[in-house]
Amino acid sequence: MSTIAATANEFQAHGDDHAHDADHKPAFFARWFMSTNHKDIGTLYLIFAICAGIIGGGISGMMRWELAEPGIQHLTAWASWHNGLVGGGEATLNEAYHMWNVLITAHGLIMVFFMVMPAIIGGFGNWFVPIMIGAPDMAFPRMNNISFWLTVVAFIMLLGSSFVPGGSGYGAGTGWTVYAPLSTSGSVGPAVDMAIFSLHLAGAASILGAINFITTIFNMRAPGMTIHKMPLFVWSVLVTAFLLLLALPVLAAAITMLLVDRNFGGAFFDAAAGGDPVLYQHLFWFFGHPEVYIMILPGFGIVSQIVSTFSRKPVFGYLGMAYAMVAIGVVGFVVWAHHMFTTGLSVDMKMYFTAATMVIAVPTGIKIFSWIATMWGGSVSFKTPMVWAMGFIFMFTVGGVTGVVLANGGLDDNLHDTYYVVAHFHYVLSLGAVFSLFAGFYYWFGKMSGRHLNEFLGHLHFWLFFIGVNVLFFPMHFLGNQGMPRRIPDYNAAFAYWNQIASYGYVIMGVGVLVFFANVFWSLLAGRKAEGNYWGEGATTLEWTLSSPPPFHQFETLPVVK
Amino acid sequence: MKVMKKFILACGLLALPALAHAQEANPATVPATVDAKAAPVVAQATAAAEPAATAKVDAAAKPAASTDGSLPGYTPMKPTEGVGMPTAKGIDFQDQYSDLGVRAKQMNNNLLLPIIVAISLFVLALLFWVIVRFRRSANPTPSKTTHNTTIEVLWTLVPVIILLVIAYPSLTLLAAQFKPAPKEAVTIKATGNQWNWTYTYPDHGIDFTSNMLKEKDDPTRAKDDRPRTDNDGPEKLAVDQRMVVPAGVPLRIQTTASDVIHAFAVPSLWFKLDAVPGRLNEKQLIINKPGVYFGQCSELCGALHGFMPITVEALPPEKFAAWVAAKGGKMPGSATPAAPAAAAPVTNDKAAAPAAAPTK
Amino acid sequence: MAGAKNHDYHILPPSITPLLGSVTAFIMFFGLVMMFQPKVFGTYGSLVFGAGLIGVLYTFWTWWSDVINEAHAGDHTPVVQLHLRYGMIMFIASEVMFFVGWFWAWFDYSLFPVPLEVAYDEVKHTFDITNLFGQEGAAAASQFPAKGLEVFDAFSLPLLNTLILLCSGTTVTWAHHALLHGDRKGLINGLWVTIILGAIFSCVQAYEYSIAPFPFAGLNYGTAFFMATGFHGFHVIVGTIFLAVCLGRAYKGHFTPQQHFGFEAAAWYWHFVDVVWLFLFVVVYVWGGWGAPVHS
Ligand code: HEA
Ligand code: HEA
Ligand code: CUA
Ligand SMILES: [Cu+2]
Repeated sequence: MSTIAATANEFQAHGDDHAHDADHKPAFFARWFMSTNHKDIGTLYLIFAICAGIIGGGISGMMRWELAEPGIQHLTAWASWHNGLVGGGEATLNEAYHMWNVLITAHGLIMVFFMVMPAIIGGFGNWFVPIMIGAPDMAFPRMNNISFWLTVVAFIMLLGSSFVPGGSGYGAGTGWTVYAPLSTSGSVGPAVDMAIFSLHLAGAASILGAINFITTIFNMRAPGMTIHKMPLFVWSVLVTAFLLLLALPVLAAAITMLLVDRNFGGAFFDAAAGGDPVLYQHLFWFFGHPEVYIMILPGFGIVSQIVSTFSRKPVFGYLGMAYAMVAIGVVGFVVWAHHMFTTGLSVDMKMYFTAATMVIAVPTGIKIFSWIATMWGGSVSFKTPMVWAMGFIFMFTVGGVTGVVLANGGLDDNLHDTYYVVAHFHYVLSLGAVFSLFAGFYYWFGKMSGRHLNEFLGHLHFWLFFIGVNVLFFPMHFLGNQGMPRRIPDYNAAFAYWNQIASYGYVIMGVGVLVFFANVFWSLLAGRKAEGNYWGEGATTLEWTLSSPPPFHQFETLPVVK
Repeated sequence: MKVMKKFILACGLLALPALAHAQEANPATVPATVDAKAAPVVAQATAAAEPAATAKVDAAAKPAASTDGSLPGYTPMKPTEGVGMPTAKGIDFQDQYSDLGVRAKQMNNNLLLPIIVAISLFVLALLFWVIVRFRRSANPTPSKTTHNTTIEVLWTLVPVIILLVIAYPSLTLLAAQFKPAPKEAVTIKATGNQWNWTYTYPDHGIDFTSNMLKEKDDPTRAKDDRPRTDNDGPEKLAVDQRMVVPAGVPLRIQTTASDVIHAFAVPSLWFKLDAVPGRLNEKQLIINKPGVYFGQCSELCGALHGFMPITVEALPPEKFAAWVAAKGGKMPGSATPAAPAAAAPVTNDKAAAPAAAPTK
Repeated sequence: MAGAKNHDYHILPPSITPLLGSVTAFIMFFGLVMMFQPKVFGTYGSLVFGAGLIGVLYTFWTWWSDVINEAHAGDHTPVVQLHLRYGMIMFIASEVMFFVGWFWAWFDYSLFPVPLEVAYDEVKHTFDITNLFGQEGAAAASQFPAKGLEVFDAFSLPLLNTLILLCSGTTVTWAHHALLHGDRKGLINGLWVTIILGAIFSCVQAYEYSIAPFPFAGLNYGTAFFMATGFHGFHVIVGTIFLAVCLGRAYKGHFTPQQHFGFEAAAWYWHFVDVVWLFLFVVVYVWGGWGAPVHS
């Protein structure tokens, strides 16, 4: 990536933001509610994702609180309070149990669709993909904005679903996977319909976003910015966009079938009328497995930029890195049934899906080792983004290798739907995707806001969070080995010890998140002003040639990349 | 017509979705390839069969409750602490009481766990070395190396080899898990209901429903439901009527469901099979030792998903016969469970495999 | 704005349409939920849904009006036209994947049939379904379409519809060629014929639905059949409207041999709809109904 350097200097002149055309911003309402500016829309996405992260993270706090010891401690009170909001009375025990299912469903959906995806694709993707390829904006600026607002109304739809009946109590209690027939004949009331429409809206938003990114990346690269010179973050968003484009419509079909069964007497998943409940799982995971790479690939991209910057070295094996992501994306479409090993697949199918799934470890390994090789021989400085990126590399490896264990159909017969799976996916998500999210945030915050974050608080946040989430999620491997099932609000006393430790971990992590917010507020109020390229010579991509924050419209004269 | 249909299919439909299902071969659609002796899963379930969607939970089947669940001629076995149940602070898999469970656990503990720990530590060590050796103060001028074909080939090939090393035992384990049950195996059908299990013994004419036992001080316990005692097993895992089976002989466990999807799972037997409405899943299980083994429903099935445990009690065959008698069932005439399991060597692996597949 | 703009990309002024579209889409879907659940929400669902729908349609209208005006203002430079092409191709690709889902369901049912026996009451339009699951003889009874079900004759109306759509594919190409040669009359005639063929297709399809020997609900065959062909039908209608808009624009003289992407997008979409139909015809009507008694 050393080849990326801008030769045209005109666009740097926009640094001083006085009375320049390119920096003429619309008035408040027009700017934030009618935006056609990729950076403003990116900012909106980030603010939205932080709100969703607080809600989704808060819900997981309630979950850890309830699980801290055996017995039902708080669910009944929460369910009663929740009933009260919609005019109901004291919650029954069944309603309390249902509340648990509502919490995990909301947590899973919020974290996946309204925190990680908006932050990493909508937020960072919007902000930096155009800049990194030397483009003045996205290809379809107006469509960009409807992607954002559809995500917002989708979120409102999901939150709204918790106030209407959904079976045994208020809200949708189907798990984020919304398996039929629990989600059809098993959940009467509008809550599940609303949750499904929420997914339709969020899905439409993401498909439009994907079209936008693909078009932008293919058509709007600055002169000289060939495909093979694009920064890896751009590559990662490109592959992600293709996964979104091809996977989400299948989910849309699947959840539309749910609606048909629920409301029009359809028989897609009704076994008595010839339907097939397992069909839903095939359709869901045909989307669902690509979805997990949708959540992690942009993180891979961010980590690549950061590792290169702070090692002051170009990325090692650039082409291998880019095509490893392509390979992950392609293979990711043919491994879905590893989520269905216990559904009664035949032995041949289990063998195929076992083998195919393990294949993904190879391109992923190429990425891990190439990051390390990038650092190798480098002159590494451990600024906050870099410690998050290094944390990512290690924690993602841990999560990845437990994935390889799960990939063995013969072992998954025991581990499926236990806390081992919960441990696996939080290592790749809460310690993988979220670490890359924070890494990117610390890396680019100065660029986006014009203010430096505090390094000490950043490191403090990292260590609290790192220790916290490990204490939180590592013991879940043990619980899973011991056979603790997922999605249960109460458990046998033998599981108490590690559950309690996990809940302590949440507290440590929570303090870390508070430090994060303190840091952001401090920085916005009193942070040091950030210069154009505050990371120095290691930062070679185009955003570092601009002022911080960049002018409202950058690259009015296209940069030339040599 | 069928042949014609299949031919058109073969030519036209190499699409993935078709592929995915194509292997869920089903005796009904592939009559030509299915060994008549090995396959008719459906037929075996006839005795107690009911259309799945209408299977009802027969409350009346509950025997007049004694205080400890015992019947004339049968007293429930007292579970052994730490056997067939989770242990406090435990970090490993539960001890295994089926050969395949032992084998799977060994595969994890002796092969996969060392490999994944080693890989993780290796990555960690490399990161530490970077921190020590290549920090800015230790290495002020960065190298410009961006390629090294040898090392790139190496870190592609070595993982491939590791994965091959994993794949071989993994696939053979899978094959072993799919050995169909021999003809004389004892058939037990577990039907998941919201939120309890119905166990049906078609060969013995037994059929009952099994509910979680509530604690003595649990206010939601109905007056005439007996509370859990330590003889029944641990909290939230013990049930009023256990699924009793003979130890040491092949069992044919079939699962299905009457409402939503459930999953029949017993960790200490390495057994987990979804119970899907409209399907009859089937798998062989051989329990090595008499004992009581606990499990839980393992697929989200609604509000009380966490409260539909499974208790399997494996008895020596003669005691099993006594239990059958106590339950009012009768042992099938010729094939007593005591007969050696070696009887029917599986001759047609390929053809028999679909027996483990759904029979929608 | 963007006074110093020195490139050919399209930098847009702020627009309220996206927010409007999102809010009205929300209202529309929420109205649908209200309609599904009158017990919870009362009887005003259709009003809310209708209000939302009008908002969504208005959004489409203003949005595309803006696009057309921008095109006339010269904002659609060659590179922006290229964007539109990419965008349309990607959109169609996602639509293809959407149909993959419906075909997947169809294959599931047809390749792994369940032992059902169906007796259809022609008068009451109800099914009497016996599910032999778990019973003696179930294996033999597993067939698709289920025993006792009557299906459409693929080689009557469906074949006719296939020919109609294929024809319309050629007439839209006729229109395109006319357009490329600057022959507005030919363009208009070609579009008229295409639209009429599309409308005939929809009518035939509607008629066929009305004489269906099986209902939508209660049986996998009916649900999968109507949803797959129904979504196709919906796309035909959308495509027809798209072509009609192009016809209107052709009368107004919007298209030139050099710049007429709106027309091309409509034509691409039309071909996509056409191809989906061919798959439906082969898979659902011909292969999927094979062996079942034909409704006459
Ligand atoms: C970011 C999200 C993410 C990512 C990246 C992954 C990555 C992987 N996942 Fe995971 N997974 C989830 C999110 C994710 N997963 C979620 C959310 C679920 C649960 C869904 C639900 O049920 O709710 C799940 C569940 C899940 C299951 C189903 C478990 C079950 O329900 O029973 C399986 C089984 O195969 C699996 C496997 C894998 C594998 C093999 C990878 C691989 O891609 C990992 C590859 C990475 C490495 C292997 C590490 C780095 C490599 C090296 C250092 C090279 C050397 C390594 C070797 C030679 C092994 N995952
Ligand atoms: C991205 C996905 C993601 C993330 C980050 C998390 C984070 C956490 N999860 Fe979650 N979890 C899921 C996805 C995720 N989870 C899914 C899919 C399920 C399955 C649901 C189901 O079964 O259906 C699940 C289930 C699940 C369970 C199992 C429930 C059960 O089976 O009964 C538990 C139990 O402890 C749990 C706990 C937690 C905790 C304590 C955190 C903590 O790490 C949370 C801490 C909070 C944060 C890390 C957020 C901080 C971020 C921000 C504030 C935004 C920052 C934004 C910018 C910088 C732009 N989760
Ligand atoms: Cu039954 Cu979970
Ligand atoms: Cu997966």
